Amino acid sequence: MTSNRILPVSRAISEAIAQEMRADPSVFVMGEDVGVYGGIFGATTGLFDEFGEQRVRDTPISETGFIGAGVGAAMSGMRPIVELMFADFFGVCMDAIYNLAAKNTYFSGGNYKVPMVLMTATGGGYSDAGQHSQTLHGTFAHLPGLKVVAPSNAYDAKGLMTAAIRDDSPVMFMFHKGLQGLAWMASPDGAAAEVPDEEYTIPFGEAKIVREGKDATVVTLSMMVHHALEAAEALAGDGIEVEIVDLRTVVPLDRETVLKSVAKTGRLIVVDEDYKSFGLTGEIIASVAERDLASLKSPPRRLAVPDVPIPYSRPMEQFVLPNAGAIAEAVRASVKGA
Amino acid sequence: MTDIVVPEGLWDAGVNPEGIVANWFYADGAQVSAGDVVAEIMVEKSTFEIEAPAAGVLRHTLAKDGVVRAGTVIGTVDGG
Repeated sequence: MTSNRILPVSRAISEAIAQEMRADPSVFVMGEDVGVYGGIFGATTGLFDEFGEQRVRDTPISETGFIGAGVGAAMSGMRPIVELMFADFFGVCMDAIYNLAAKNTYFSGGNYKVPMVLMTATGGGYSDAGQHSQTLHGTFAHLPGLKVVAPSNAYDAKGLMTAAIRDDSPVMFMFHKGLQGLAWMASPDGAAAEVPDEEYTIPFGEAKIVREGKDATVVTLSMMVHHALEAAEALAGDGIEVEIVDLRTVVPLDRETVLKSVAKTGRLIVVDEDYKSFGLTGEIIASVAERDLASLKSPPRRLAVPDVPIPYSRPMEQFVLPNAGAIAEAVRASVKGA
Repeated sequence: MTDIVVPEGLWDAGVNPEGIVANWFYADGAQVSAGDVVAEIMVEKSTFEIEAPAAGVLRHTLAKDGVVRAGTVIGTVDGG
């Protein structure tokens, strides 16, 4: 059964969790303010009322403790969804994430699975300063053992969350605050989407072509998909047809779709709201260079946060974040550079 | 045709008389059933769900981000 409901991303996530909780008693949620408050970015809204305090557990502000507990629960047969309120807070609990969650399957010779979802809020653009505004896609993708998901819209968010809960590996589910559709934070029009009532999964490692074009390929994810779409609209007015690849998952990474698109367009621009150096943008470009350098008609380009903390000052923050204007400019330069 | 009204007493209007339409969950012109959550209202940072009072074709009288008070008609449902 399909639906004509248009859900914001936050409700799509909470609906996916609710449906899996109804179907599987081993699924539960814990984290700071996920219960009575419903998650500060709305990802667990309504769950406490339906499932109660045993399955939707408010924790103390002790990320090391409750993420470590999540790993233990996952290894003991449960399927926890643990919320790290801001991705930026990983600093206090990284041992639990990358030495325990990410590696315990390997350390145990495959005898233990860690079917845990670590759900976390990412992104800036709303003047929340350097410890509440990072995306950190590359930080988690760099570590072997974690899957990394970052949806751009509500349809993908529900399908990816359902897949994440059913996955036997630890999954970082990284949702962008500015896509959640919260009443107090503006989100782009395309973030809310028609979402089917029934449960469904979107397989990891399958990027989506969200706009087809022949002149240049923009590879991106999460919030930047919307900026890229806005840039593509402006460029279409100049006769430049941009193809946009929404990666949807960083790990596993759908290099094939990227390579196929670049083979068609000959030009590659990668856009990420993460730091520029040592990250996703470089990985995408290296992947194309290794496999099919000859397909590039002009040097690849990348837009990301220059290697500075995200500024609190609004003009300074807006300056460091990639935007539609900068993306359009990079595409034009790439096309002229042929 | 049935009005979709922001109910009285949803929040303490003495503290803050106004809210906004935070989200419409169905497009203008969509078919809805009675009881479907069609919109949410935000007052400060709290949100309140608004249900369709009848089945039919939904019309938005007030767009997203429009200001509401208790008793404001935000839309209609036309059962034909």
